[in-house]
Amino acid sequence: MLNTGIYKDVFEQALYSLSDNKLRSILSILGIAVGIGAVMAVGSVTEGVRDYVYQELESYGIRTIWIFRDPEEIKNPNRAVRQGSGISTEDYEFLRSSKTCCPAVRRVTPQVYWAEQKPVRVNGVNYLLNLEGVGVEYLTINNDQLEQGRNLTNNDIERRNPVAILGPTAAEELYGKTGPMGKSFRYFDQKYTVIGVLKRKSRQIIEQVNADTYDTNKRILIPYTNLQAILGSKDIHTLLGEAESLEASVDAMDQVRTALERRYSGRFTYKTENMQKWIDNAENYINKLRLTGLSFAALALFVGGMGIMNIMSTSVIERTREIGIRKALGAQYEDIRFQFLMEATAVSTIGGVIGLVLGIFATYVIGFSTGYDFRPSWMIGIIAISVSAIVGMMSGFFPSRHAARMNPVDALRHE
Amino acid sequence: MILLQDVSKTYYLGEASVPVLKHVTLQIKQGEFVAIMGPSGSGKSTLMNIIGCLDVADSGRYLLAGTAIEHMTESQLATIRNRYIGFVFQSFNLIPRVSALRNVELPMIYAGIDPEVRRHRALTALQIVGLRDRAEHTGARMSGGQQQRVAIARALVNNPQVIIADEPTGALDSHTGQEIMKLFQQLNTNGKTIVMVTHENEIAAFAQRILFVRDGMVTETRLEHITGKSNIGA
Repeated sequence: MLNTGIYKDVFEQALYSLSDNKLRSILSILGIAVGIGAVMAVGSVTEGVRDYVYQELESYGIRTIWIFRDPEEIKNPNRAVRQGSGISTEDYEFLRSSKTCCPAVRRVTPQVYWAEQKPVRVNGVNYLLNLEGVGVEYLTINNDQLEQGRNLTNNDIERRNPVAILGPTAAEELYGKTGPMGKSFRYFDQKYTVIGVLKRKSRQIIEQVNADTYDTNKRILIPYTNLQAILGSKDIHTLLGEAESLEASVDAMDQVRTALERRYSGRFTYKTENMQKWIDNAENYINKLRLTGLSFAALALFVGGMGIMNIMSTSVIERTREIGIRKALGAQYEDIRFQFLMEATAVSTIGGVIGLVLGIFATYVIGFSTGYDFRPSWMIGIIAISVSAIVGMMSGFFPSRHAARMNPVDALRHE
Repeated sequence: MILLQDVSKTYYLGEASVPVLKHVTLQIKQGEFVAIMGPSGSGKSTLMNIIGCLDVADSGRYLLAGTAIEHMTESQLATIRNRYIGFVFQSFNLIPRVSALRNVELPMIYAGIDPEVRRHRALTALQIVGLRDRAEHTGARMSGGQQQRVAIARALVNNPQVIIADEPTGALDSHTGQEIMKLFQQLNTNGKTIVMVTHENEIAAFAQRILFVRDGMVTETRLEHITGKSNIGA
């Protein structure tokens, strides 16, 4: 029974209902607009934040895995072996050269560090920085780039050359604005020469998301063999690996752990980590952000929807006689129902379109004021408009039913 | 065309039951112009509503163009009103704020007729009532007589068998009323069956037959019998 002629009729009637109830219309449209604007802005901004988070995580190497001995085990008095890291240089060499043990692992590198940081000295001043002993492949795995200078070489590792790569913050703390290349510092009794400086890594979102205090820009990297020599052991504290992909990182962790346990016949237990925890944290954070925004949006949409319901109820009562006329002329239940449902939907979709514009604007404003490049997501836009239409239909449900159920004789008699 | 047999209708107001129509039997033939008269509260509006398929009787039979109406659903009644009946009301009852053309198109919208055909037929109907050039005017910009003409065009446009007019001149001055009645007469000459409720003798004089309703009962009468009665037109 429905046909195209009804749409124009319905649209005209919707505009009349609006102009008849100007103040209520404006308030309801505003409610819907604010709600849809919020949906749009929150959706776009959280999409944007997610992109940034993944970019940042990517810059830390999203396929990275860590393998180390379970620290609880070292403290456990019942364990036979309470000393050592459970990973030696030989293990690393084995993992690095074996073609069969760990197919999901692309490369590994050792990491050695002091349990508590020891200072480095420049011109008699002590600085506390994050000093790590690493291998040649560390930079690749960690997605680190050199701002200037060169990477460590196998030669540096074998000969225990006293050379160092600095993070950008570490370079500034040690040498101020003057170029750090070729400068030196003392660590224990050795004099180290700076051969490279790392590019700065963004950590603003990761800091918010994880509240992590480790500043990657304050690193000093030296050959791991130097630190082993200072510590007087062949221990490697953590093996840093790169999986073939984020998905493969679970397999990669299993493979390395199994290989190590087999090499020590189960004397040590190992812990492994990948970026999943960070990703989960980030997703949690994004979800919290989104939930807050969407609760606000839902409230505004509810208020707007109630407003539309109110307008429509009033409109139905004011137009009782008109409904009677339409029924006398042969309008079916569905025709009347459809007309008022569509009127409600039209009103709320007008709010939705205004809200969309507001939301796009808000997205840019939020981006501008926080310094991020957020862009409206068209996907979210389509969702937002659909939500506004659905709110309209829900608001129109009862008023339109009331209208459609009217008895034509009574409706015609209505003054 | 219209055949009512033993039709009764009772309204219930709380505990009290008010019989409005009592065993009414009447027949209106195709092409007749019939006036329904009677004092207010006599049941003539109810009779008109039943004939117009806006309301259904509690008991009795109603055949409209050979179709039994009495057991129809709401939806079937709406279709019957749309295809078989055209309404003209005392207060014109145009949909406010929309143009004459869109008012006249409305019954065809509900009949599901193509937009182009619809427009053409609506303009033709407006032509018949002499308002072809006012098609885009809204009710507020037209005189009462013009509005009633638009309403008549709207009643005609689906080519119904019966036109039901409820005091069609009640809101018009006598000169305009006469013109509207001439229009009805013209439609009747062209074959339309017209059932008109009125309480004015000079308006009823346009009809060929007069049905007089009193206390829920209908009697066939002649105008000169009514002229002397005092309680008409309350």
